[in-house]
Amino acid sequence: MTSLTTTPPERAGADPRPELAIHEGRVLLTGSRCGDCGYPQAINPPRCPICGSHAIATATFGPKGTVFSSTVLRIPVPDRTPPFTLAYVDVDEGPRILAHVDGPDEALVPGSEVVLSGWSEHGDPVVRRSGP
Amino acid sequence: MTGAGTAIWGVGTSAFGKQTSLGGPRLAWQATVEALDDAGLQASDIEAVYAGTVFGDPGTVTRCLQQIGIVEVPVITIENACASGTSAFHEARESVEMGRYERVLAFGIETMTAHFDGAISPIASDPDGAQGYAMPSIYGMSATRYKYEFGVTDEQMAEVAVKNRRHAMGNPRAQHHKTVTVEQVLGSRMVADPITLFQCCSIADAAAAAVIGPLGGSQDPRGEVVIRSSALRSGRLWDHTTDKVWGWDIVADTAARAYDDAGVSVGDIDVFEVHDAFTIGEIITTEALGLCELGEGGRLVESGHTSLGGLQPVNPSGGLLSRGHPLGATGLAQIAEIVWQLRDMAADRQVPGARLGAVETMGGGTAGIDGNACVVTVLEQVG
Repeated sequence: MTSLTTTPPERAGADPRPELAIHEGRVLLTGSRCGDCGYPQAINPPRCPICGSHAIATATFGPKGTVFSSTVLRIPVPDRTPPFTLAYVDVDEGPRILAHVDGPDEALVPGSEVVLSGWSEHGDPVVRRSGP
Repeated sequence: MTGAGTAIWGVGTSAFGKQTSLGGPRLAWQATVEALDDAGLQASDIEAVYAGTVFGDPGTVTRCLQQIGIVEVPVITIENACASGTSAFHEARESVEMGRYERVLAFGIETMTAHFDGAISPIASDPDGAQGYAMPSIYGMSATRYKYEFGVTDEQMAEVAVKNRRHAMGNPRAQHHKTVTVEQVLGSRMVADPITLFQCCSIADAAAAAVIGPLGGSQDPRGEVVIRSSALRSGRLWDHTTDKVWGWDIVADTAARAYDDAGVSVGDIDVFEVHDAFTIGEIITTEALGLCELGEGGRLVESGHTSLGGLQPVNPSGGLLSRGHPLGATGLAQIAEIVWQLRDMAADRQVPGARLGAVETMGGGTAGIDGNACVVTVLEQVG
């Protein structure tokens, strides 16, 4: 089961995970949006992978999102204790990211509404169910 | 791209299983010597090697091949996740097709038990891997999505394992030689909801090889198998704009290219070896290959269409679910199976009268893209 903290973790080295930050009490995803085609990403590359534009601006997304799909991983992986729930979440107006799910060890039904909530004890982004 | 044509002259594989004590070179020798003998060549005849391995130590391929006399030639190692072996095959074929070489070894090896006790560890430098995401998770999520979107049932997914394990009863080189029932598959422990243990391929140590050259150029051209086409590509971005599960589009796109280049349609193909690392993977892949419509893959396996005795058998070897999955070796083991099928050498698992076969391998593990690589190749019996 995933633990939840709202204290931002130290991001060591080239941490590749989606980066969350707290803005006015809300947990938002920090990423980028193409100034030409509007393509959103959880990272901030020098060119847009869709239209090639250099006009990539930092952007924040969320806190709400919709589950594309979900599973509970029940086998051991290094540094984590199973089981824990994962979901691909389409953040509102933003990119699709992988996140851990705060709640019972049950896969979320695709289409479920979730909200970005903070971080796991390992610094993973965490969502929890917010609606149907 | 078409020259006079390119063919597989010979194939070979080691056995598949947990055989840590053999080590890479011995597995490689079994596969390579069998392939050379099958092609009627000596090691010194080989002009170049294209090899696939993922977790192998630096120097693995030369370490494996030097002591059987494959030396003083270019040896190119390719890493393309689960599609590494077929990527090596693809490049070997291209090199012959373009006239660069005439006797090329495509080779794949993986000694998984030297690196892992169970599932492949997540890749820490990857946005998903750094979250402890292991490969079963993505297939678990595909299965969750398919149950929700298309009503695929747990029993239909289990049927893939039941079918492939049944097929493997005729394959002496497979790791698993025991049939399973739907109840046993669904009763095995949960790995990544809703995927249970018997719906996951096992890790394995093995090697596989194919000798490739110009069509009609071998000592016994009647034993050649024509490479009608081979397509290789990475995936599109897999993002919020798609409702397709991971890996669907890359297989469909690669297959479309391979069918087009071969001038065939899916209905022409008699037998398939596809990437069934997890049961849901075969369901998705059969759809993407065009064997049925999107969302119909569960009903397809249930119908018996893809069983031995059905109209278009899929994974007569037993697939990865029975053979196990030594990443670099898998693609060339699939190639070997189709070669044996097209030569009518597959004994108890033979698809009667098979003339046209296809191999599909898809490799992933990188977040945000619809697969690191996919290879689809169409092979045809000579004559």
